[in-house]
Amino acid sequence: MKDTRRRHLAGYAFILPWLIALMVFIGYPFLAGFYFSFCDYPPLKSPLFIGADNYLELLGDGIFHRSLGVTFIFAAVAIPLGVLLALVLAMFLNARIRGQSFYRVIYYVPHLVPTVVVAVLWLWIFNPDFGLLNIVLKGLLGPVDRWTSVFFDLKAAAARGNFLRPGAAALLVAPALALAAFGSAGQALARRAASVAGFLRFVSVLAIALAAVAVVNAGLGFLSPADMKELHSPGWLANGNPMPAAVPFAPSWALWALVVMSMWGVGQMAVIYLAKLQDVPTELYEAADIDGANWWNKARHITIPMISPVILFNVVMAIIGTFQVFAEPYIMTQGGPEDKTRFVAMFVYDQAFQYQRVGYASAVAWVLFLIIVALTVLAFKATSKHVYYAGR
Amino acid sequence: MRPVHFGLAALIVVVFLIGYLEPQVALTDFDPKRDAAFRDTWNTRVHIAYWEKWASFEGEACQKMVEAFNKSQDEVFVHYIQTSQVDRKTVLSTVGGAPPDLVGVWDNNVIPFAEGGALAPLDDFMRESGLTDDHYIPKYLELCRYRGKTYALPTAVMSGALFWNKEHFRRKAADLRAAGLDPDRPPRTIEELDRYAAVLNEFNADGSPGIMGFLPTEPGWWNHAWGYYFGGNLADPKTGRLTADDPANVRAFLWAKRYAEAYGREKLLRFRAGFGTFDSPFNAFIEGKVSMEYQGVWFPMFIRRHRPHMEFGVAPFPCAAGVPGPRSYLEEDVIAIPRGAKHPKEAWKFIYFAQTQGLPILGRLQGKHLALAATPPGFREGHPNLELKVFEDLAAAPHSFIAPRVIVWQEYRDRVARAFEHVWNWPVPEGPLAGLTGAARQAKVDALCREEIEETLHEVTVTMQAKLDRARALDTRRAGRAAP
Repeated sequence: MKDTRRRHLAGYAFILPWLIALMVFIGYPFLAGFYFSFCDYPPLKSPLFIGADNYLELLGDGIFHRSLGVTFIFAAVAIPLGVLLALVLAMFLNARIRGQSFYRVIYYVPHLVPTVVVAVLWLWIFNPDFGLLNIVLKGLLGPVDRWTSVFFDLKAAAARGNFLRPGAAALLVAPALALAAFGSAGQALARRAASVAGFLRFVSVLAIALAAVAVVNAGLGFLSPADMKELHSPGWLANGNPMPAAVPFAPSWALWALVVMSMWGVGQMAVIYLAKLQDVPTELYEAADIDGANWWNKARHITIPMISPVILFNVVMAIIGTFQVFAEPYIMTQGGPEDKTRFVAMFVYDQAFQYQRVGYASAVAWVLFLIIVALTVLAFKATSKHVYYAGR
Repeated sequence: MRPVHFGLAALIVVVFLIGYLEPQVALTDFDPKRDAAFRDTWNTRVHIAYWEKWASFEGEACQKMVEAFNKSQDEVFVHYIQTSQVDRKTVLSTVGGAPPDLVGVWDNNVIPFAEGGALAPLDDFMRESGLTDDHYIPKYLELCRYRGKTYALPTAVMSGALFWNKEHFRRKAADLRAAGLDPDRPPRTIEELDRYAAVLNEFNADGSPGIMGFLPTEPGWWNHAWGYYFGGNLADPKTGRLTADDPANVRAFLWAKRYAEAYGREKLLRFRAGFGTFDSPFNAFIEGKVSMEYQGVWFPMFIRRHRPHMEFGVAPFPCAAGVPGPRSYLEEDVIAIPRGAKHPKEAWKFIYFAQTQGLPILGRLQGKHLALAATPPGFREGHPNLELKVFEDLAAAPHSFIAPRVIVWQEYRDRVARAFEHVWNWPVPEGPLAGLTGAARQAKVDALCREEIEETLHEVTVTMQAKLDRARALDTRRAGRAAP
């Protein structure tokens, strides 16, 4: 008994330094922040208790509401995109190809670059005149427009007029070709001359893709001419207009830029997926192969359920991370244009350090904390029936 | 003793030994080459730290002033420590009880810092040293004061003027003359500025701007202050009440908004997005994308750094017709002694040196004028800022102005600037303009914009006045609580 107690004491002694640090550096600020949120507290003066005034002020603070809105919109776009992109990337990195380790390192390396460096780098990438992104866009959309113009009148589409050209009928060749290649005639051909059928299928897929490019380009030019015009050379960080313009609460171009930039770090998420992907038992895939499952079926019924705990983990981490976004917009846009990239963490910083209102900033931080907790709980609840834990 | 206990004990001993054996601060820890001259007195001096924001050539200018002080006597040695975000670090170090002996902050820090007791009053030091108010240009000294006490003293100063590109004026000389304007001089009123700008504009084949004669949003650092050039004010000097919605401020915003509407918000947005950073050859004015710009006294140094042969002129920024001028927005950097500094007397010695002998060194090397009422003899000779006279005159001009001295100034300034940005980007609704053309349409656009501006500025005034009143009430409560 005495020995057990001694062992326990020794254990506590070992974790004591960490416990002390936890209480001093996390526990105390956490609780002090809660108290300060009920105070008027310029850091150079003593805190003055003012009840719930700070929380009441938050209710009517338009800038806080806007910053919260920006954060939510960013979360709604960047989290699903990031999770999806990382998943796709992880699946590619999981493929057994030559130089697999090299690719894994390459995709992880961006995550190691310091945030400030990344922000400065992307400032150049997003430069409307000399930026890499706009140069690529211009190089890509120029030929696309020329190709589309063969079938559609883009100027008429932008003016919401009749934009069909006689040549548009030629686009029907693509579905006809696809029907021939993949229909019963194609299957018959495949039985007789497989290589000819394969070529025909390749050509039909290519034709469908090219036709789709023209139709989508002209269609978007008709539906949203302002967005399509801007897409040819976006002002990115300087543009506070929503994209798509017709969608209420759509992210501004500047916010889209930050979303695109946030994809820079998906390599880290992909590596976590990859670790779990390699943990999926191969016999499950073998069984599926025997049952005649295709790639999609295997992904849907084996891969995704098996890695679902990791997906949930990444989603929760992304939620927390999104509500703490600060450095990138602080360096790149300072919250502009017109608060369209002012995240709630920046609002906290401004209140605490620019305007010396630590009490008010603490109230915002607590509201933020409660939102993060609520969203995390929501994520767990919403996915409880879809996440598979092998150990349970 | 069990091995683990022995290991812990050994670790503790090692930590203490490292602390004990840590060598004392020595001359070689700093810049042995630069500080070699002080070898003999190094250990007999009081060493004090001076946190200052400047880097690059402006930091070197500060360093030169510090070196001059260190050479001038053998009792105190000032260490110049270049510090980013010096205002925030001053607050944190003061709250933490470990501030430096001297801090170089901005004038807008004086009130919040003084109000919070972060700065030591300098009045007694000034009296003992015989430094009087008439040593300074009054407005620059006013920026250092709060409730009748002096909490800081000026170092680097700011005054602003109109920079005009003489090459652009010469190139468009015939057009300017045709418009009844003199290409050999800059505009003298805001109305004239608009006319010059219209002639100097150049557009690309697709209608996008190639050169803009003038842009109220460039560089965008003083958007909150345009109202002063229309005779407005952001606070009533008598009552202290905030007046963002002053009719003159509304006129100023409307003037700026007309640029956005005349040349297209989207086009100007794209045009501005292509500008380079301030300190680069791609600066809009230096590169020649903007022909006229409001900028500070430091700007000639930057122009000559990046385009040594650029032909430009400097003149007082014009006021609206009927508004007395010339005038300039005056700001400054200040030096102060934080509360709890260990060596306030030694720190004052440096401040006194700076105010009496050091500022000319700083001013010359940074290319600026001085906050002093009387310029020391020889200061102007060989000064690198060839346009110095314009700025000196503006600094002393009776109509030049400073920011309102209110505790909520930083937030107030940000809100007015945000209101400006909102107005600039506000899309004028097309509905009420249907069927209107020419002057009738322009009048309607003006009316709609004016309405939006008035509403926006009124909201800023009400919100910030409420915050100011609240801050004052809380301070009264806090003072009442502390009194017993």
